[in-house]
Amino acid sequence: MKIVVAVKQVPERDAPVRVSADGRSVDSGDTAWTMNEPDAYALEEALQLKERGEGEVIVLSAGPERVESTLREALAKGADRALHIVTPEEGPASLAARDILGVAQLLADAIRSESPDLVLTGLQSDDLGAGQTGVVLAELLGLPHATLVLSVETAASGDAKRIRVKRELEDGWFQHIEMPLPALLTIQSGGNRLRYATLMGIKRARSKETRNIESPPAAERHDEIVRVSLPQRTRQTEILTGPANEIAAKLAERLRAEVGL
Amino acid sequence: MAAGSLGVVALASIRYVEPLYFSGVEVDVLALLCALSLVIFLWRIAPIARNVLRAKKDSGFRLAPVGRRLWDFVSEVLCQSKVIRQRPLPGLAHAFVFWGFLAFAVVTTNHLLTGLGFGLLQYTGLVGTVYFWFAAAWALLVAVSIAGLFVRRFLLRPRWLGAKVSIESGIIAGLIFLLMISYLAAFFLPPIGVAIKAWWWVHTLSLLVFLPIIPNTKHLHLLLSPLTVFLKRREFSQIPALSESETEEDFGLLAGKDITQIIALQAYSCVECGRCTEHCPAATTGKVLNPKEIALGVRGYLNALGPASELPLLNELRDAPANPSPDNPPANWLSMEAAFQCTTCGACEYQCPVGVQHLPIIVGLRRGAVNTGAWEDRQGTKLFLALEKQGNALGMSAMERDKFIEREQLPLFDGSQEYCLWLGCMGAYDPKGREIIADFARIMRHLGTSFGVLRKEKCTGDPARRLGNDLVFGSLAQSGLAAFSAASVKKIVAICPHCVRTIATDWRDFGIAPEIEHHSEFMARHAHLLPKQNGERIVYHDPCYLGRYRNVYEEPRAVVAKAGQLVEAERHHERSFCCGAGGGLVFLGEETGERVNYVRAKELVATGAETIGTACPFCNSMFRDAVSAIAGEKPPQLLDIAQLTARALPAAAASATIPETGQPPVR
Repeated sequence: MKIVVAVKQVPERDAPVRVSADGRSVDSGDTAWTMNEPDAYALEEALQLKERGEGEVIVLSAGPERVESTLREALAKGADRALHIVTPEEGPASLAARDILGVAQLLADAIRSESPDLVLTGLQSDDLGAGQTGVVLAELLGLPHATLVLSVETAASGDAKRIRVKRELEDGWFQHIEMPLPALLTIQSGGNRLRYATLMGIKRARSKETRNIESPPAAERHDEIVRVSLPQRTRQTEILTGPANEIAAKLAERLRAEVGL
Repeated sequence: MAAGSLGVVALASIRYVEPLYFSGVEVDVLALLCALSLVIFLWRIAPIARNVLRAKKDSGFRLAPVGRRLWDFVSEVLCQSKVIRQRPLPGLAHAFVFWGFLAFAVVTTNHLLTGLGFGLLQYTGLVGTVYFWFAAAWALLVAVSIAGLFVRRFLLRPRWLGAKVSIESGIIAGLIFLLMISYLAAFFLPPIGVAIKAWWWVHTLSLLVFLPIIPNTKHLHLLLSPLTVFLKRREFSQIPALSESETEEDFGLLAGKDITQIIALQAYSCVECGRCTEHCPAATTGKVLNPKEIALGVRGYLNALGPASELPLLNELRDAPANPSPDNPPANWLSMEAAFQCTTCGACEYQCPVGVQHLPIIVGLRRGAVNTGAWEDRQGTKLFLALEKQGNALGMSAMERDKFIEREQLPLFDGSQEYCLWLGCMGAYDPKGREIIADFARIMRHLGTSFGVLRKEKCTGDPARRLGNDLVFGSLAQSGLAAFSAASVKKIVAICPHCVRTIATDWRDFGIAPEIEHHSEFMARHAHLLPKQNGERIVYHDPCYLGRYRNVYEEPRAVVAKAGQLVEAERHHERSFCCGAGGGLVFLGEETGERVNYVRAKELVATGAETIGTACPFCNSMFRDAVSAIAGEKPPQLLDIAQLTARALPAAAASATIPETGQPPVR
């Protein structure tokens, strides 16, 4: 099975976020970068699929030179080769200047040349969190897709052209569905256990191929970023006192009045 | 050949004698037997020598400083200091046997040469008479000692010797006894006659049988351990750098090809005394790990497969068990399960009288498993990912550290202060660790020492280092060195002995860190300025990484003595028992068997002291639960030495401080 995993490089969890001078983007001058967490789970799922049978895992990412560290991390963890869609650090052709459709188009072009059996990507990104890239990509590639996937296995019938996936629904419900290949899945965090990077992996990664792909100029955005701002932090804590029945009554009243239940 | 004086004649009336005459046949038989004994000996030792010599070279091994090696040799080999100090009675008995052997070197050489017709010492001469009497005194001591050791080994049966005691060691003891008795017998016999001839031959045959037995038994230590002690790695628990080579990949001790000459030499030197086992916190609490069996496992592997084998050392990585132990029932000795139960407390390595350094071997086995990804452990993976992503072992957000610094108003290090106060993961994120840091900061302010903390700090990599993750350890060490260098730090002080050890010693593979000391050392130096309290009885627990690893025993005690009345636990100083946290184990979840921290906490509570004094945030955290579970209603207090000191400082010292500079208020 040939699997392409599309990963995104995002700022580290604790990285301080500063709005840049124009008020419409994030200043990423001295940001430390890391692999988007849901994408890490997507990669892990791909590696486990490969380890259960024959196959190849190709990791794909778009972005400037710094993205190489994330691709190397993926290669070190076991991906076989990497595709790097090189975009300029800033300017009209940069990743930040493209909308979701534009980014998905970049990824789709690169994926088409590989004609994989399965495309995996994280459910959403830790930075923007739109959760759109995966499904738009499926549409562009003309592939059936499933979102919020926790695990993937080969179909019960043993048909190599079908897979069975477990999706997370609301309220503790799960959905098990079978679907044909090729397909695209967006992977939910926590469905499997991530592996740690090893010295051997890093050394092996040095001899693995990374192919650079030039990026075409960006198409015009369909959306417009009006303003970027940090969330206003408001924290009001009130501790209700008294016997339990009084507290319950007070709480019910407040919920009714202030939350509108 | 008249004696020098009448006195000597009188004394020599009872003296050692040798047969006056050997027939040609006797000489031939003797020569033949000597040659046979030597040939069998060489034939049996050759594969061992080959295994050691053909093993991988120790990269980075340096003989310098020879002076220190010589000193260790004199102390540990010639004076038998470790043998005696850690097990006085059997140790002394062993020392007598050893010194007796040295005295007998001359006697034995002379004995065989006499038989061949080239005797050196004339028993009738003055030198001969005196020397033979000297040797007789030793013979008596050796005979008594070896008999005592025999009784201990075969009748008293200390369990550390293992479930089965080897028969060879009984035979060897018997031979030694026979050698001594046959030597002493010669003092009471006429130089002519059947009796002296018979005893002479008994002595000779004992010698010639003894020699070929040596190579394949634990008695190989007679030959190897002096060399092993002289050649052992310089640092305590020194983890060698992985060799950088284009042709060969080094991930640690994965297979026979990774066993180095020093490890091979040490494995063959093991005398199976079980001191390592006796002091091991894993072996004594029902874990699989037994440090003695690790050494013997490597030996067994070398014997069976040789030093070029690619077959993995660890059971989980191969089809058949790596070492059914030679003298104990087969168990999972050489396994990932065992290797990852080590707390790296270093008691085994410290105790070993023949120079075996267990930690580089155990950590080496872990490296082999972790650096290749073979070790799959839920908690271990979580720890490595936390170190990779968050840069701290507790997996907390770095912002929590920022908040703590702000709340405690700790000054940031800007290059103008004398000390960089290293918080460490426990000091920055753990509630109790933070209390310790806050109190130590108060002490520094009270003393008027300027200090600051780094804006950003990552783990030193200690748990990754001990668990064998060279990738994570290397990147943390490099980023730590870069942070110190960027901030122009000259001196560091830390509350955690693990941080101190790792920064001072383990980071050396990547560069030289600024000078670092533990807060106990800092406080002991300023002890005269610290308040004297008429406090309660305080039992001090030696952390492994401060005591055995850094040789700091008295400094924390000096601090404790200022705060109250110092009490010692049953095991203390270099014999102190681990809290169970080290070697990354604190992050690996529940252990099998008895809990190490409970065992140690019981010992501390048993002293009846009102307070337990600790000097390591990990020990402190390990005892926190254990003490209340054990001591019940009135558990002793648990305080770090910084807290013991800070509690007597005037309250104003904290609040009146100017936080930005860490300067104390004007008095």
